[in-house]
Amino acid sequence: MAKAREQVIPNQEKSQSEAAPPPAAASVVGLGKHFGKTSVLENITFDVAEGEVLVLLGASGSGKTTILRIIAGLEQPLKGKVILHGKDVTDLPARERGVGVIFQSYALFPKMTVEKNIGYGLRIRKRKRKEIRETVEELLALVQLKDHRKKYPSQLSGGQQQRVAIARTLAYKPEVLLFDEPFGALDTQTRSHLRREIRALLKKVKVPSIFITHDQEEALELGDRVAVLNQGHIEQIGTPFEIYNHPATEYVATFLGAANILDAVVRKDFVEVGAARIPAAPDPAKFQPGDCVKIVFRPEDVVLNRADLQRPGHARISSATIEEITFVGAYERIRLSLDRGSDECRREETPFYLTTETPERPKSIIATRPKPEASATRLYVGDRVVVAITSFTILEPQKNADETKK
Amino acid sequence: MRHVRGFDVARPLSIGMLVFMMLPLVFLPLASIFIFGTSNGLDKFWAALMAPEAIFALKLSMATSFWATVFNVIFGLFAAYVLSRYNFWGRNALIVTISLPTAIPTAVAGFALLLLWGPYGTLGRLLAPHGVQLMFTAWAIILANIFVTFPLAFGVIKPVFDTMSSSLEEASATMGATRWQTFWHVTLPSLRGAIVSGALLTFARAVGEFGSTILVSGNLAGKTQTAPLYIFAKFNEGQIEAANAIAIVLALFSFLIFSVLFFARDWLDVD
Repeated sequence: MAKAREQVIPNQEKSQSEAAPPPAAASVVGLGKHFGKTSVLENITFDVAEGEVLVLLGASGSGKTTILRIIAGLEQPLKGKVILHGKDVTDLPARERGVGVIFQSYALFPKMTVEKNIGYGLRIRKRKRKEIRETVEELLALVQLKDHRKKYPSQLSGGQQQRVAIARTLAYKPEVLLFDEPFGALDTQTRSHLRREIRALLKKVKVPSIFITHDQEEALELGDRVAVLNQGHIEQIGTPFEIYNHPATEYVATFLGAANILDAVVRKDFVEVGAARIPAAPDPAKFQPGDCVKIVFRPEDVVLNRADLQRPGHARISSATIEEITFVGAYERIRLSLDRGSDECRREETPFYLTTETPERPKSIIATRPKPEASATRLYVGDRVVVAITSFTILEPQKNADETKK
Repeated sequence: MRHVRGFDVARPLSIGMLVFMMLPLVFLPLASIFIFGTSNGLDKFWAALMAPEAIFALKLSMATSFWATVFNVIFGLFAAYVLSRYNFWGRNALIVTISLPTAIPTAVAGFALLLLWGPYGTLGRLLAPHGVQLMFTAWAIILANIFVTFPLAFGVIKPVFDTMSSSLEEASATMGATRWQTFWHVTLPSLRGAIVSGALLTFARAVGEFGSTILVSGNLAGKTQTAPLYIFAKFNEGQIEAANAIAIVLALFSFLIFSVLFFARDWLDVD
């Protein structure tokens, strides 16, 4: 039920933070960097717990690679600190930090065999030959490359090279593993396969990891937590469930997949969308009655009915006309034009905002229906339906990007 | 006329033309060395080759070229590293300066060295009271060789440095390697091909050097006479056979080096 979920999530967060937090394996505090007047990073702060996978998700240019390079020691921040297992390493060179970086290009040493690549970190640490041989043996088994030990990187597939790259960093027991878009160069099939493999591997070795990607599916699947970056600042950080179902900002909502966004007005125990009242409990710390806000809901949160049925858990928002029905395999996608309403925030006749899938048609929203439902009640273009939603989130008023920079 | 059957007369004609043009320009001069050198029998050729002065000249050429090559490869490696890894004011000026020696006539190069290191030269004057005299010794030949082959190794190594992904070195650094370890284990192996071909080019060019060597060496047979100088001296004395024997050796030697460069290209660039 919409009302219930709105309330449950903040409570969950509270209960987590009240329990003794696990010690951070790696944290960055207030990272800032700019080139000339262009700000690249603004006040980036986050922790990674022992054994946790944190995904930094952002479009290109969001600063995610810069953060990774700063943690690795390949770039210097202008402000802020990098702390690995309680030790401030901000001023240490890359080689003294003991981090493992998996580069997008893998950066395997081309003139060394798989074995030599994996043993490199130990050889330069002048470990005993026996120890190196045993560690390499263990890692070859872990990443299932025993048969390829004598091969050169150019003789391996992309996925195999990836595994060598991971084994190579695990060999010297890094404080933290940093993945720089490691699937960027692979095809979709290999990607999803490798993703599962790496997830399983990371759970096995329990090394805290920071993973950067621009692929939201990858982020949701791989991350224990996901931090969404936008133009050098963190928009939201939370579990995949939180950021997908309860995005804090419009950017997060739209970046993580299809989202319908509507204008609304906050009231004491409901929000007003056009003429409809949707029961909710807006957080009084964030929203005042009378605030003009936006609410967001996913296409799968929309329920369509021919009749105006009142069902528990379904909040009616408007009647609508079906404009388009598309069959997309696993489900049916329906574009609807909402009937116009009006509220006190916008006196113009178009109160409704937009859906990210059809920005060019600002009065449409998108709904999806799973196969069983689609075949039980057939709908056709031109049908009049009642639109209800089962779940939604009130977005915090978005700060202007220019304002935050000043 | 059109040849619809696919026989294009231009093909054999142009190939024939090419070979015909090369005949008097390249093939015949080379062939005449071998024909003339062996016309009096192989034993005469062998005797000319085994003359003590001839052997000395060949050895001296090899030794001086070797040390010039060692120096220029190390220098070229260092210069390429600095000039492709760091961007600084005056970088392009340095690159041009390094490349300059090939554009200068070799006689000018030899003359310039004399003016610097000669007994009355700018630096030579300071060394002379200590009994150090570089000119007219093997050192002078090495200096001349270094000067005229200066940019060759650099020119081959620098482009490889430029195209090498910096993520290899970054990966090595994050894995705990010092700069030196990274250079030794990661950077250098990737440069193997460039180093070998740069060295061969430098060596081949140095072995054949004449213009600067004749000015700085003093051309003393058995002391400072390199193989090309030996050929010149014997030819002037009218001992054509003696000159010819060494000429054959030098020609074969160059041929060998360029064959290695050409046919081992795949091996040199192997990843």
